[in-house]
Amino acid sequence: MMPAWTHYLAHFVVVVIATISFGITFQVPRRHYLAAGLTGAVGWMVYIFGVELFGMSPAIATLAATLPLTACARFFSINHKAPVTIFLLPGIFPLVPGAGIYYTAYYFLQGKQELFASKGGETFKVALALALGIALVCSVPLPSRHDPRNDRL
Amino acid sequence: MAEGTFDRAVELVMDAGQTLLENGGEVFRVQQTMEIMAASLGVQDFHVYVLTNGIFASAHRPGQDASSLLRHVPTVSTHLGRVEAVNELSRELAAGKLDMAQAEQRLQAARALPRVGPRVETLACIAGSAGFTYLFGGTLADMPVAAVAGLLESLVCQYFGRHGINRMFTDIAAAFCCTVWAIAVQAVVPAVSANAAIIGALMVLTPGVALTMGVRDILNGDYLSGSIRLLDALFIAGSIAGGVVLGWILARGLGVAV
Repeated sequence: MMPAWTHYLAHFVVVVIATISFGITFQVPRRHYLAAGLTGAVGWMVYIFGVELFGMSPAIATLAATLPLTACARFFSINHKAPVTIFLLPGIFPLVPGAGIYYTAYYFLQGKQELFASKGGETFKVALALALGIALVCSVPLPSRHDPRNDRL
Repeated sequence: MAEGTFDRAVELVMDAGQTLLENGGEVFRVQQTMEIMAASLGVQDFHVYVLTNGIFASAHRPGQDASSLLRHVPTVSTHLGRVEAVNELSRELAAGKLDMAQAEQRLQAARALPRVGPRVETLACIAGSAGFTYLFGGTLADMPVAAVAGLLESLVCQYFGRHGINRMFTDIAAAFCCTVWAIAVQAVVPAVSANAAIIGALMVLTPGVALTMGVRDILNGDYLSGSIRLLDALFIAGSIAGGVVLGWILARGLGVAV
């Protein structure tokens, strides 16, 4: 079991670093780096567990990952009193179907129509899953104590 | 409310809105922040409509006709630090902790928040590319290839950005460069997988921001702005795909890849 354990630990460390890298290019303030990195890690770990351990399709795993990710971003947003965008934008990046875009273009060029269509469809589904996940979690109202106008972080 | 105060207040509110919008704030946030600030500053009959690239507002000048205000915000470059600073400013203004002069000062400070240097941005690009190559199943040998691809990408983006070349062509060129580079390395060192390295490097270019913001705009009922952003996401994805295809065509033409 040791190799699997180190495999996921390595993934965790790398995804935190990669997410923070994106945060830097979006000029996220330094005090939010760790929270943004963790948000990205939550999403990616759920995704990779879903795909590798539970045999989910990429689209379903993306949906499953976006829910805790967005919830995590909202949590940090309230906790740090900062706009949710600061955590959501870098955090969502690992799940954006970059590989899907690439393989769609690749199979298109190779003339492999069937693979092209299936990759293209999958990329679109992943993007939809991402959108649906964000939509679901962002729409849940907060149990608010104060002026609800300030809650739409 | 005196004439001069009105002008200053309206100017402050418009500047704050523009700062939010051009640094990647969501449409509803811009709209809401401007309304809260106008109310806190006592501007009467303030109405504002925000789109992805413009702000339209009108306010009632005391004792006179309504005046209309317009801002065009053609380019957005994400700076979440500034978005946060303006957000904080409006919160404190609404809580009555700031007067007009202090608020103006805070907005100046928010607008002047520095970007991290181009070197740091390039480093982040390199780290991101190498990291994602690993996450997407690349080997340790693929990572340095992706890191160099990330460096190329970052240089292309910064050079094109300085010369005001449009976003679409920039994405095509950046995707093209990293594709050609990775295929070239694979041709020399067969142990390297070009696919893994290219995917890692492409992650930096993917339209994650446009997609996320588009969804959030639509959720908040800003259908027009949301559609603009989603269309943007689609075009970015298409540009990346175009760059990749061009890269492979070149490689095939030179007989390096099949």
